Amino acid sequence: MSKEVLLRVKDLRVRLKATGALLFEGVDLELHAEQRLTLIGESGSGKSIFAQAIIGILPDALQTSGCVEIAGHRTDGQRSRTQPLWGNTVVMLPQEPWSTLNPLMRILPQVAESAHYVARATWPKARAAALAGLKQLGVDHAAHQYLHQISGGMAQRVGVVAAGLGGARLLLADEPTKGLDDDSREQVAQLLAASQGRGQALLTITHDLDLARQLGGTLMVVQRGNVVEMGDAEQVLSNPQHEYTRALVAAMPAKWAPLVQPLKPNGAAVIQGRGLSKRYAARRLFDDVDISIAPGEVVSVSGHSGCGKTTLGNILLGVKSADRGEVVRSPVPRWKFGKLYQDPLAAFPPQRRLRDALNDLVRLHGLNGARIGPLMQELSLRPELLDRLPSEVSGGELQRISLMRLLLLEPAFIFADEPTSRLDLITQQDTMRLICRATQQHECAVLLVSHDPWLARASSHRQIMLAGH
Amino acid sequence: MFRILFSAGLRVLTQAGFVAVVVGVLSFFLTRSLPGDAAFRIAAGRYGYDNVNAASAAAVRAELGLDLPAWQQLLTWVGDLASFRLGQSMVSGESVFEHLAPTLGATLHLSLAAWVLAVVLGVVLGTIAEVRRGWIAHVIDKVCTVLRGSPPFLIGLLLMLGLAVHLKWLPVAGYGDTENVVLPALTLALALCGGIAQVVRSRLEQVLASDAFEFAQIKGLPLGAALWRHAAPAVALPTLAYSGVQLILLIEGVVVVETLFAWPGVGHALVHSVVERDVPVIQGAALLMGLLFVVLNTLVDTAVKLLDPRQREGNGAVASEGEFA
Amino acid sequence: MSQILTTAVTAQAPVVKSSPKTASPWRPAAILLALAAWAVASIWLAQNPHNQDLTGILAAPGAGHWLGTDHLGRDVLARLGEAVRVSLGLAVGSASLAVCVGAALGLLAAWWGGWVDRACNLLADAIAAIPGLLWVLLIGALAPGQKWALYSGLVLTAWVEFFRFIRPTARGLLMSDQVQATRMLGFDSLYVLRWHIWPPLSGSLLKLWSYAVANAVLALAALGFINVGIRPPSAELGQMMTEALPYYGEAPWLLAAPVLLLAVTVLVLQSLSVAIARRFES
Repeated sequence: MSKEVLLRVKDLRVRLKATGALLFEGVDLELHAEQRLTLIGESGSGKSIFAQAIIGILPDALQTSGCVEIAGHRTDGQRSRTQPLWGNTVVMLPQEPWSTLNPLMRILPQVAESAHYVARATWPKARAAALAGLKQLGVDHAAHQYLHQISGGMAQRVGVVAAGLGGARLLLADEPTKGLDDDSREQVAQLLAASQGRGQALLTITHDLDLARQLGGTLMVVQRGNVVEMGDAEQVLSNPQHEYTRALVAAMPAKWAPLVQPLKPNGAAVIQGRGLSKRYAARRLFDDVDISIAPGEVVSVSGHSGCGKTTLGNILLGVKSADRGEVVRSPVPRWKFGKLYQDPLAAFPPQRRLRDALNDLVRLHGLNGARIGPLMQELSLRPELLDRLPSEVSGGELQRISLMRLLLLEPAFIFADEPTSRLDLITQQDTMRLICRATQQHECAVLLVSHDPWLARASSHRQIMLAGH
Repeated sequence: MFRILFSAGLRVLTQAGFVAVVVGVLSFFLTRSLPGDAAFRIAAGRYGYDNVNAASAAAVRAELGLDLPAWQQLLTWVGDLASFRLGQSMVSGESVFEHLAPTLGATLHLSLAAWVLAVVLGVVLGTIAEVRRGWIAHVIDKVCTVLRGSPPFLIGLLLMLGLAVHLKWLPVAGYGDTENVVLPALTLALALCGGIAQVVRSRLEQVLASDAFEFAQIKGLPLGAALWRHAAPAVALPTLAYSGVQLILLIEGVVVVETLFAWPGVGHALVHSVVERDVPVIQGAALLMGLLFVVLNTLVDTAVKLLDPRQREGNGAVASEGEFA
Repeated sequence: MSQILTTAVTAQAPVVKSSPKTASPWRPAAILLALAAWAVASIWLAQNPHNQDLTGILAAPGAGHWLGTDHLGRDVLARLGEAVRVSLGLAVGSASLAVCVGAALGLLAAWWGGWVDRACNLLADAIAAIPGLLWVLLIGALAPGQKWALYSGLVLTAWVEFFRFIRPTARGLLMSDQVQATRMLGFDSLYVLRWHIWPPLSGSLLKLWSYAVANAVLALAALGFINVGIRPPSAELGQMMTEALPYYGEAPWLLAAPVLLLAVTVLVLQSLSVAIARRFES
């Protein structure tokens, strides 16, 4: 018995109305009930545009051509034609629960309303169905609370229940693991798998290869608006054919070769922490931690979110103080201890051109300005980038400029706080490679914080795990 | 929740206290700044100008302790105020309290009418402007900007000339009939509704474009249900909060509008007493207006806090899991 | 939105938003300057605004008096000039002083924190407990018609708004990662002030300043209207309106002139602040 075709896409193209520029190339696919399809691509690849075209919320500036059919209804990406299908046939799972759930309404009514308005159940029946759905995902105790009283993970599960109660058979998930760490990603993958009940199809759009592997099903790889490879998920990931897919798979930190050279013993530790303890509100973050980093050494700190990795780094830098313990730094000027931020924009005054900001620094400490050119080359940065404002430069480039600025100071120590977690897979790999190479060459001690244990292992000499309590 | 109510009560008391002190001190210096002999003036106020002489002035001086050093007089003055002894009008001799009591009712009547009208006008205009884009929205926006920039006395003046003098639809001034409240209330309402309309419109625009509203629709909710259950509360709460800001305009406007339309409220009494230099009445009226503002302001703020579950249900903010620490 | 979409849309397709035709602050600024210039020039070029001519009262606009005369025979044009001079002068002066006081206290409170912050906040909240007009009324009543009383009242009420804007903004900025990074690099507080605090604040301060000027003009007019503000024979827009009311039937231009002028002045000031806000937002 052939399963119902819930989604049929034929030759879908998306263009900019004003110029006719093609943002998403033609693609043909069919999604049957109980099937899973995952779209993989980096930011700017057009995969979100594809999702928006399916659900019918493309911005007015774009137009579609080709055929989109949802459960037999011809929609062609038009909002007017897709809207009647919302909730009862097709639904998009919420990406960020904090912005998609209503903070002024209690949880149960906002979950039950899908059942009432879409599945046309009476309020008592709708509430019962909502409660059952929440219970299935383990969040029924949140039913009478408000959004601000539950955690992010719980809110996400609530969102999934709320979306599904209308009875939709085609589920769309757009970047469901954006900004989440490993454990949460596991939960989300399980959530997506669980939400796909009998007779439903799941279409997931993500840049996260690990999620794609966990979900299984069919995998479609998209590069700059074109589909470059399609096939069974496990197959494609273990045996990629197209070179872009190969680069993507190789860029997964689990596949990285070590980025650091073995350390030559070269003298006293640049920075040492002894017996550091810190508590935050009622929680004890860490207790009696000893740490010591030598010049040219990279030490990474990993652990669950909220375990205090960033706080430890800030304490070593002297930006925050520990409750107990001491920090000993080598006797160089304080400004030789620097930081790389997770968000590269956080490191620069927003209205100062990069060249001017660098010159300010050179003047301030009497540095050698002639080193800027060679450093730019070392980090593969084009010279004209410096004429721009920080907001006019891409994330990867800005992070490297930030590194270059630190190297200009001939730093003794750099605290790299998740320096690449906001970047694409391939950009992330390139940037980490450059960071490791540069800091080793300049004999700088590095404390690296990362949520990704593979990245940490490949990029550091030693790994510290903060257990957390 | 009781925490909110408690802190509201505390706030009213402290602010009311401050208002009383400021008004009291300023009024005190006001008295001393008047030209001529205060004792003589007070005696004249009591017995009439023709009946006073040096002896009666001396008697008043002794009675009121006007010989004492300034700071002692100040203390007595503030002490009087604290025990609600507002004294008598220097002009009419009538007790300040009796003089002002009926005015409070009139002001409340006017303010309530104006505020309700302003909110209705503002919400209607703001919603239309947001829902019907195009030239209507543009016109409404311009009108609101003009209204916001127009002082209440100007609006009142124009309304008075237009509706009362030229068209003779409404009485020019006065008090008593329902039609008397229309012009003054409309004046104040027009002065306030511009800001409210713009706030409603901008909030509505934000809410309609928000992820939460989009999700409500994607879940499958019909437009009406989505608007009523999700959009309306999200717009109503900040609008209510904004009306707290509008209270300042209301109180300031009341002073001028009551004077223009001869509406016998507290504002009118204040202005008259300032012109006549009748300090006890100045003090009483200013105190009354100040207290009115404090109470209304706290009421609005407390209402907002009680209606917003995020502020009502305590610190439920659990650290969001699963994000990079 | 994906990067392709954002760069494509912003680079090529025009943004579909309703933007006003006058987005530039130069036009209202020019009008304002012209107004101020006329008001100042009228000191020498116009007739004496206090000159009463009881034989020529309520004259219609004509050769001798371009805007006619009022009920005491004084030249309306000259009185308008004086009124604008006095109002704008007081308004600009008090707004500027209020900016300085509010900004200074706001920065102080944000920088020091602790008890300084609490004290400033307490002061601001206390002053805000009484509506502005009431303050000006009470202080103005202390010394009727005296400029310093009006000045103090206006400054007292205006600085709170500036303070309430600057303090949280500066605080947020000072606690930001950007400032942390700059400080770690070794830059001093002056650099932080110049490149982190000032740029985001400057536009808003200018906008608030022009709002404050408009408010001050309106407050003075309101006070003049209820005969509590600037004392006659000095001309004031609100007072001119009150004086003109009884003669509305015979000499409507007497009322129209100050009304129009006030409307124009305030409108120009407001479009100036809106234009400045738009300029600095982009």
